[in-house]
Amino acid sequence: MKAPFCGRLALLAALSFPGHWAAANHAGHDAPAHERHGAPAQAPATNAVAKEAVPAGARPRHEAKIWTRLPNIQTAGRGERNTVKLKVFGMDATELTVYAPGGPAERMRVSYPLGAEGASISSAAPGMGNYHWVIARGETPEEVRVASTAWYFSNPGDAPTRLLREIRHELEIIPQPLPREHASYRESEKWRFLVRWQGQALPRQAVHLETELGTRMSVLTDEQGVATVVFPRDQRPNPAPAKEHARPPRSKFVLAAEKEEGGRRYITAFNYQYGPDPDRQRDLAWGAGFAVLGMVAALPLLRRRQIAAAGEKPNA
Amino acid sequence: MLKSIFPTLGRLRFVVQVLMLVFTVYGAALVGHYAAEKITGALPALSCAYDMQNAAYCVLIPTQHQVHHRIGEGLVRAQEFTFAIVLPLVFTVLTFFAFFFLLGKTFCGWICPLGTLQELLGRIGRRFHIGPRRLEAGDLVENRKVRPVKWLMLLVLVFLLPLLAGLGIAPHSLGNPYCDVCPSRIATTLLTGNTEQLALRVDDGVSFALGAAANALIGFMLVGALAIRQPFCRICPMLAFNALFQRLSPMRLAKPVRHANCGQCTICAEACPMDIREVATEQGRRAYHEDCTLCGRCVEFCPQDGTLSLKWGPFKLFSSRREYYKNRVKGELPDGTVKPMKFVRREATAANP
Repeated sequence: MKAPFCGRLALLAALSFPGHWAAANHAGHDAPAHERHGAPAQAPATNAVAKEAVPAGARPRHEAKIWTRLPNIQTAGRGERNTVKLKVFGMDATELTVYAPGGPAERMRVSYPLGAEGASISSAAPGMGNYHWVIARGETPEEVRVASTAWYFSNPGDAPTRLLREIRHELEIIPQPLPREHASYRESEKWRFLVRWQGQALPRQAVHLETELGTRMSVLTDEQGVATVVFPRDQRPNPAPAKEHARPPRSKFVLAAEKEEGGRRYITAFNYQYGPDPDRQRDLAWGAGFAVLGMVAALPLLRRRQIAAAGEKPNA
Repeated sequence: MLKSIFPTLGRLRFVVQVLMLVFTVYGAALVGHYAAEKITGALPALSCAYDMQNAAYCVLIPTQHQVHHRIGEGLVRAQEFTFAIVLPLVFTVLTFFAFFFLLGKTFCGWICPLGTLQELLGRIGRRFHIGPRRLEAGDLVENRKVRPVKWLMLLVLVFLLPLLAGLGIAPHSLGNPYCDVCPSRIATTLLTGNTEQLALRVDDGVSFALGAAANALIGFMLVGALAIRQPFCRICPMLAFNALFQRLSPMRLAKPVRHANCGQCTICAEACPMDIREVATEQGRRAYHEDCTLCGRCVEFCPQDGTLSLKWGPFKLFSSRREYYKNRVKGELPDGTVKPMKFVRREATAANP
């Protein structure tokens, strides 16, 4: 089928002005292509950070792309082992607070002042890895914004059971559970998130999902305050083969909930990343085929034994 | 009471194996997502971490990763080869050893889920009069020719290739080659209904080849285990890893003296699922062979009082006894052949017509 003339013109224009094309692509969240459930996310009104967006080509390597107006925490660079630089978007905050799953008492809760470049956080102790819970909070008389994420430091450490049970803010979104070390959120998978208000489960609360790839959708929590999110199948195929420490491509997402109480608006968000469905790169038929091949190769072992058994005497 | 439930060591081991299989494969559903992490982190290897729900740890995974990412890449970046680089690897080995000190090689014979699966298949094979085929002269290939393979697996797949990948000499997809060919990864994930690990990656030639080898291996193992006892255990790098430290654990097989019949009856060797003849022909340290999984079958099937025993330090946990042997062979032959079940019609009596 021929592309419409105006389409070809648009393509030509995009090729002629790659900067414009990049900018349009960059702002993909404004025109959601994957909108689901017919309910676009209710983006908060204030968005000081979004105005600071720079064209993709001009971004430093670790500069996070602005793809949502919801509060979120993103990496801004890696440092030494057990250190990472994080930056807050979609809200004004002065510090990052990191909660550790274990370690020395004085390191269980550490606050890091946020500068223009973000803040470098580290694990509670050199040998204390596993998930650390990271929070930024910004307050005005009208509004409270909380951004939260989890950061996995690669050493073994205490499981985040207590970390996720503790109540820290008025409105919270808590993963139920966080993926284990070798697992991850992946497209088409169902994951549960608990929404708490003053520490109590919040039923029938709208939870909005926005992804870096443009999907916008909403779900309601059930009677137990749990929102079951099916991660959208919006990952782009990765043409590059695995080489040079390439990790599976991951895309960012943010889940947010909003509640008004006593004339004050509370917005809370949890952001993390999700990966492609592994089936995109895998073929079950090939796998089953080789397994059957192995089985066939082992068949002579069964046949020959039955012949040899005739001359043998059982023991005892 | 306990004796009526576990009349033989073999019954006790079978129950432990089945319980551990269920625990390692489905344990997270019982003890909770994160509690499972704590427990699996305390053991050297459990249900494969690739199932992403139940287990989190197998000593072979961090060993490959650390050789790949720490040592290999550390050398490439011309960093100082300090203790700090080697430290994580040392910690991995020490964590493993902490567990190993307690139970020694009983992990292989009593806990390993893949070992249990193979043994269950072997029982099915015996029930249908298939096998057992042996790794000895006159049957399959001689055992001594197969034994070095586990060391090669450990050296090449767990240490050498990850190191070369870290150095940039081998492709990155060879960073954890043992996991890529490990049949436990496929078996335990399939047991949870997850076919992801059975499916082959088709976007990378090396990954495809490794996956194909793994699938062929597990296919071979599933059928082969009906005839050969513990086929994969014989080449498993975990067995080699265990063998490295087996003299350091108080848990061991003891055969302090040779009985006059040793080397004559060879029933213990026949009972050994790893076809270790040395247990019959040797004594002392040599009888406790590098391939031994401490399953205890040789002790159960030794007809001489006190010749063989399982010991932890100075404590004898289980010793061979003639009376025990006589009872044991009533239900099962040393080679694992199960005696046929007899269905006998109950005779009518006056009280019970």
